[in-house]
Amino acid sequence: MDAPADLDRQLAALKGVVADAMPPPATDQAIDAAIKRAQRKSGSSRRASRNGERWLAWPLALAASIAVLSLIVRSLPPEAVMAEPAAPFARTAGDEFMALVPLADLQSASDAMVVSARLPRMTLAQLGLPVNPARAADAIDTELLVRRDGSVLAVRFVY
Amino acid sequence: MPTELSDRLQASDAALTARVACGEAVALAPLYQRHRGPIYRFALLWSGSAAVAADVTQDVFVHLLTKATDYDPARGPLQPWLLGITRNFVHRRTGADARYVANDEDTEPPAPALDAPTPESALAMQRDVARLRAAIAALPPHYRDVLVLVELAERSYAEAAAICGCELNTVRSRLSRARGLLARWLDAAPQRANTAKG
Repeated sequence: MDAPADLDRQLAALKGVVADAMPPPATDQAIDAAIKRAQRKSGSSRRASRNGERWLAWPLALAASIAVLSLIVRSLPPEAVMAEPAAPFARTAGDEFMALVPLADLQSASDAMVVSARLPRMTLAQLGLPVNPARAADAIDTELLVRRDGSVLAVRFVY
Repeated sequence: MPTELSDRLQASDAALTARVACGEAVALAPLYQRHRGPIYRFALLWSGSAAVAADVTQDVFVHLLTKATDYDPARGPLQPWLLGITRNFVHRRTGADARYVANDEDTEPPAPALDAPTPESALAMQRDVARLRAAIAALPPHYRDVLVLVELAERSYAEAAAICGCELNTVRSRLSRARGLLARWLDAAPQRANTAKG
């Protein structure tokens, strides 16, 4: 008997027997379950990460607003600006703020806050308001309606 | 053209593995569908046990799910890498790595007890396959690796060398010794059976 040829024949027969062999359905299901477990784990860690981002959002927004407002105030001449607590309504010349942005933006600004500030009259010109050049160097008390992102929405004057 | 197709499939394997590595577990499903057959068959031929092969196949793909970052597409296609992992798992499952230390100069292992073939052709074929399986199962693991990879899983010598982590010449010599042992055992089995009958 030709041993190598016989071995080759038997190897070919064995190869044919297992040619279509596949893992049992239980293995398919186990892999499917492992994929789902990994997806859930990955999804929950992503959710935890997103929740963490949400918790961070408000403090970050507040910090950013304070920083922006601080930059605005610092950009003004130091002797002319003096932030002070919001004045009572009794002190205001009129109850109405003058809008500096479109009304739609003003209405949607639910997070706005009032900040008192003493501004040089020249600032009024920057806001598009008339200024008497003779009194341009004088300061004027104002209340600013400021958004949390630091943008000024409206202004009113306090006498 | 077949090379281009093969390249595209290889790139696709690499892309899917990269997605698994990035936490997209669902990308494992097509990889499993694509490679489960060869992985299972290698484990089955190596261990001779469908239960071990099923467990090893599951282990290999769960390993891919958690360690996909270990695969480097620059070092070759995915399937030989998976076969290397399969080899490690099947050795571990069968205790082969603990029982054997690869030694190409070792003495011949004892011949397994193989039944004599029966004259009826269909039955004889089944009996031949069963005898061959028993003989393969009796081979030392480092011989069984190359025999299953080259002769049965139709891997090239170079791929077998990469999967087993040995030199090309070592694959050649191990294969030659494995075939020699199998031929002797299978040839001797009928004689033993006849001797036993006499």
